[in-house]
Amino acid sequence: MSEATTNQPQQEAHSDQISEYDERLLLAERKDWEINQAVLQPMFKTGPGFWVLVAILSSVVIWGLYAWGYLINWGMGTTGKNRPVYWALFITTFVFWVGISHAGTMISAVLRLLKADWRRPITRGAEAMTAFALMMAGLYPLIHLGRVWKFYWMIPYPNNRYMWPNFQSPLMWDLVAIFTYLIGSTLYLYLALIPDMAMARDHTSGWRFKLYRGFALGWRGTEAEWHKLHRALGIFSIAIIPIFLSVHSIVSWDFAVTIQPRWHSTIFAPYFVIGAVYSGLAALASILVIVRRSMRLQEFLRAEHFDSLGKLVLVAGMAWVYFWFAGFIVEWYGNEPVVRELIREEVSGRMAPLFYLQMGANTIPIALLVFKRIRTSPGLLLATTLLINIGMFTERALIVIGSLQRNDLPFNWGNYSPTWVEISIVAMTFAGFALLYTIFSRIIPFVPVWEIKEGRLRYTMRRIGRLLVPTAAEIE
Amino acid sequence: MNNIVSLMALFYESTDTAEAIDELHNIGIPDDNVVVLTGVPYPKGALGRQLEWLALPYIVLAGALTGMLFGLFLAVITPHLYRLDIGGHPQVGFPPAAVIIFVFTMMAIIVSTFLGVLWEMNFPRYGPAPYHKLVTDGYLALLLEYPATMDVQVHQTLESHNALHIGEPERMAL
Repeated sequence: MSEATTNQPQQEAHSDQISEYDERLLLAERKDWEINQAVLQPMFKTGPGFWVLVAILSSVVIWGLYAWGYLINWGMGTTGKNRPVYWALFITTFVFWVGISHAGTMISAVLRLLKADWRRPITRGAEAMTAFALMMAGLYPLIHLGRVWKFYWMIPYPNNRYMWPNFQSPLMWDLVAIFTYLIGSTLYLYLALIPDMAMARDHTSGWRFKLYRGFALGWRGTEAEWHKLHRALGIFSIAIIPIFLSVHSIVSWDFAVTIQPRWHSTIFAPYFVIGAVYSGLAALASILVIVRRSMRLQEFLRAEHFDSLGKLVLVAGMAWVYFWFAGFIVEWYGNEPVVRELIREEVSGRMAPLFYLQMGANTIPIALLVFKRIRTSPGLLLATTLLINIGMFTERALIVIGSLQRNDLPFNWGNYSPTWVEISIVAMTFAGFALLYTIFSRIIPFVPVWEIKEGRLRYTMRRIGRLLVPTAAEIE
Repeated sequence: MNNIVSLMALFYESTDTAEAIDELHNIGIPDDNVVVLTGVPYPKGALGRQLEWLALPYIVLAGALTGMLFGLFLAVITPHLYRLDIGGHPQVGFPPAAVIIFVFTMMAIIVSTFLGVLWEMNFPRYGPAPYHKLVTDGYLALLLEYPATMDVQVHQTLESHNALHIGEPERMAL
């Protein structure tokens, strides 16, 4: 047998490997203009399904605005809130949205600093999710005020009423921290968007051209511009991580600094943060599956990205279980009468269905995500991650509403059930989030094109023994 | 000045671009007269150019200091101006002050980074500027300024490194 014949199967195996890796390394063989078109074209196509979705979501938003108007007109009595449950569905949903917002930073900032290349196609989707979730979260303090027109009283400015915000109050910290996170995440999203706005500017006309030109700020892609952008994104990545940790810690202190049983706990801050990461990553996976299908982005959002994201969700889920148990065991062991009653209510009382829903919806996905098949199959991953967020929403409800129903004064115990006003307003924010995201995906390049192209520069193939493997160059 | 020529050349390969830049330096065109436009951020030094010094870290530092002082003012000074006694706590407590100072410092860092980088990049800048739309399609554009006497030499250098579309740069309204 000649040497050429001997080597033939080996060469074929290598060429198979190369083509497989080419595919996996995000379009290594495709030209830049092809990538531009692959991202831009789905943005321009809005079929009947898109408009039906927009109409449905808009209807829910309008209905929710009507409910908010009704609440403003008739007062807080139109909600189910009453002594002792002063924080109810609004604050539950507020905490949920703040939690959802945490995935953007996790994916974008943390993974950027760690140079995890698989983040590249999903960063923009994650950052947009953060910004929109915070916008929805930010509505709740306003809604919860009841007299929303008095909002400006929270702003510190000298006035003849001799009134000043109480900066010792965690509610004030909340306002400032969420505002900071909203500003930070929006600017972070925008900054990384500028080169892609220039790319879109170069390939569009009409109103889109004007829009993209406005957002591109005159970007040309000089070396100096790239260098400065990189430096700014690096600073953002570092600065936004403590902000992201502080925001949900502060939200948790809204609860933990009170002496309400089950809230007054030192573990609340890390427990809230990890819960936020868990629900946020799960929500991101759900959204990516939906956007991937609706915008036909299968080339960019691939099984390996879902696999990595699924692993992150899995780790966050296990950490959540650990923190939940660490809090629960101390409360159970303490056996304080009111805490005992609250635990009894959860485990075998009126709240038991919610408790078991929470536990099931948060722990079953952990067992499922162990399997690669679940992580890499978009449909299964969607179902699993939606289940997680049902669980996390229920968990927020149990913390906020469940705990408030029982306190240290048994004559002051009470129950709560939401009214149509609260349900409509909560539905409004879910629809509003989906609407913003839907519109965003058709106006802004959903996949960060320049980051993908940059990622392609980093890779080369290297022979190790019998294998050809992709290796990443350590370049800045 | 009439004896200064502006020129744009497009390349498809970064290696060709880097080699052309090196040769242009060798024939006497200084680094300041060469600008490369790319659709992708190339690694430091990949195109043989020196990076500009950045004021951004100092801007961010100044921003952080301003934010910290503002947070300090809100958390430590204003409670004395607008007295509010709560829960037996002192007028100014360390934990609440730490939270407020931290958040305002971080807010100032974020805002100053954003404004600082826009200022450094001289953005927004919508006026006409030398540009080519093929840059975002993967081409590398080389913008040059050199004395007219070097025209032939520059053209030869660029052509020898597979440059395309060599000519006067189009000034586009960006």
